[in-house]
Amino acid sequence: MMSNNAIGASSSPSQMKQHMGLKASRTVANTLIYVLLIVISIVWLIPFIFILLQSFRVESTHQVGYVIPQQWGLDNYYNLFKTDFPKWYLNTFIAALFTCVFQTIIVLCMSYTLSRFRFKMRKILMRFMLILGMFPGMLSMIILYRVLKDLGLTQAHAVPGLILVYVASSGMGYYVSKGFFDTIPKSLDEAARVDGATRAQVLYKIILPLSKPIVIYTVLTAFMAPWGDYVFAQYISNNTSAGKNVAVGLYGWIKTQDQTAKYYTQFCAGGVLVAIPVTILFMCLQKYYVEGVTGGAVKG
Amino acid sequence: MASVKLTNVKKVYDNNVTAVHDFNLDIKDKEFVVFVGPSGCGKSTTLRMIAGLEDISGGTVEIDGVVVNDLQPKDRDIAMVFQNYALYPHMTVYNNIAFSLRLKKMPEEEIYERVSNAAETLGITQYLTRKPRALSGGQRQRVAIGRAMVRNAKVFLMDEPLSNLDAKLRNQMRAEIILLRQKLDTTFIYVTHDQTEAMTLGDRIVIMRDGLIEQVGTPTEVFEMPRNIFVAEFIGAPKMNMMETTLEKEGGKYYVRPFGARIEVDGDKAQELAAKGVGSRPVVLGVRPEHIVLADGPSENAIPCKLEVNEMMGSELHLHVYTEDETRLIVRVPTINLSLDQRKGMSYGKQLYITFEGKVMHFFDKESGLNLIYA
Repeated sequence: MMSNNAIGASSSPSQMKQHMGLKASRTVANTLIYVLLIVISIVWLIPFIFILLQSFRVESTHQVGYVIPQQWGLDNYYNLFKTDFPKWYLNTFIAALFTCVFQTIIVLCMSYTLSRFRFKMRKILMRFMLILGMFPGMLSMIILYRVLKDLGLTQAHAVPGLILVYVASSGMGYYVSKGFFDTIPKSLDEAARVDGATRAQVLYKIILPLSKPIVIYTVLTAFMAPWGDYVFAQYISNNTSAGKNVAVGLYGWIKTQDQTAKYYTQFCAGGVLVAIPVTILFMCLQKYYVEGVTGGAVKG
Repeated sequence: MASVKLTNVKKVYDNNVTAVHDFNLDIKDKEFVVFVGPSGCGKSTTLRMIAGLEDISGGTVEIDGVVVNDLQPKDRDIAMVFQNYALYPHMTVYNNIAFSLRLKKMPEEEIYERVSNAAETLGITQYLTRKPRALSGGQRQRVAIGRAMVRNAKVFLMDEPLSNLDAKLRNQMRAEIILLRQKLDTTFIYVTHDQTEAMTLGDRIVIMRDGLIEQVGTPTEVFEMPRNIFVAEFIGAPKMNMMETTLEKEGGKYYVRPFGARIEVDGDKAQELAAKGVGSRPVVLGVRPEHIVLADGPSENAIPCKLEVNEMMGSELHLHVYTEDETRLIVRVPTINLSLDQRKGMSYGKQLYITFEGKVMHFFDKESGLNLIYA
């Protein structure tokens, strides 16, 4: 209705009116966009708010038919620390941290190499990795388990095994950062090399400072994947509590109905604690993250 | 400060394209050498091989008597200015200039002194705290030069440093490079596609085409004694007029017969032709636009032609004329030599008579394109 009015106004012969019409139609469009975005964000936030509220519910531990707790308290959080939860949390954190560091280094070096060096088989290597990347990682699960078992890196010692699995294929994730590096003029490298820099100095004194968004994007994705991983973590820890990560450990509490009745609110509290570091990371770095995701293709 | 010697230097790319064939050149200490040629002639590639940014496929490059073929750019002690400036966007002007000195781990006080001196010389002191993106093209170019200056490198390489500037700024920076050269007093190798830059800057000019050196010489040499048609046409603007005609030797005198006219070759040129023992033969005659003069009317040594385009350049007119057989020639006439009526009358289709200065003609072989006197 309003947009109809706007169109009517914009087709009026008077220039002034035309201007007003344009402005009005823009306002309408903006309003619609904001309403839509608000609705989407509410839908998106509902599960999170739900879990947050459940985690403070202390009158019962099972699932209930209402959202707002009748009795509020921190018991669920307190109880978490009587379980293996801190151990799982630490496992996840160690795995994510090491993966994050190694994967970032490998991805950035790989991207720099593929972007700046010209060597035989370069194109073939890139194509090979592209095709290899199309196979789901799950295909390698069975053989990976065998290998890790032989190395003694399963069950209670699953964390180093997991780090190995996460980091091993990380070189293949070079696309986005290589795309970004490609947009940085090569003459900058050349100028730096003439100025006396080694290739490594070119990378960390020139290329990386210019690629902040992409470095942050790489760090974030490298941290997030192991932080939220369930399948490999479950498989490699193989039901040994000492080797579980948070996702596997928490899921263990709601596997059966009996367990769910006993641990549901505690499960929610664990979920909240898992979300905290990632949320903080994202809130600090989201500006760069968006730039990184879009900058790879166009240019930041 | 150092000599640079290139011996049989070759560049062959992976796809078997040869960019530079057998390049031989001795550059003396403190010499200013300009590589000039049309795009794709291999001039930049040669410079980049000297810098170490391209692999050398064959031959040797020596700097100060040391073969540097396998040295990294950082170990060659060269400074380079790039066409697109290549300033580090995330660093201030000061840090840009100081970058190479910091890599050398020079003490900060000395870095400060060198950067300040360079900035003062180039007039960019007030911009030292700015980032490159807040500078104009000319200022960026100065920063790029400053970055190369502070190094006190053995050889100063410049790859088309003025091409990204507008015409006025380019002339100004060209003059500044000449001054800079006097101050720095080091070996310069300068690449450009602009013959004016080459002529004004170089002690010696290396004219290249398709990866080959066509001629090496001082600006005067390449202008007055072009080795072949390519050099003759490349150096000088507007370019030299070329026409196929015959050279006649008659009783010790030489005549050319362009478009039916008969023009005597006189002065040094006639003596030089005689000394080389050149007889009557077909030639490609080269005459620079400024060596064509307007004749008063039809005569034995005048060529009738019609005016097609008149370019008023201020101090001179560039007249594009065509002869009866539709050959296009360019004539450069100083405005001062023309009366007001003549100047006003230069319109499309006007009948003109032209003749050539007998002592400044160039004669080339039709097949080889070589200069009959100087090749």
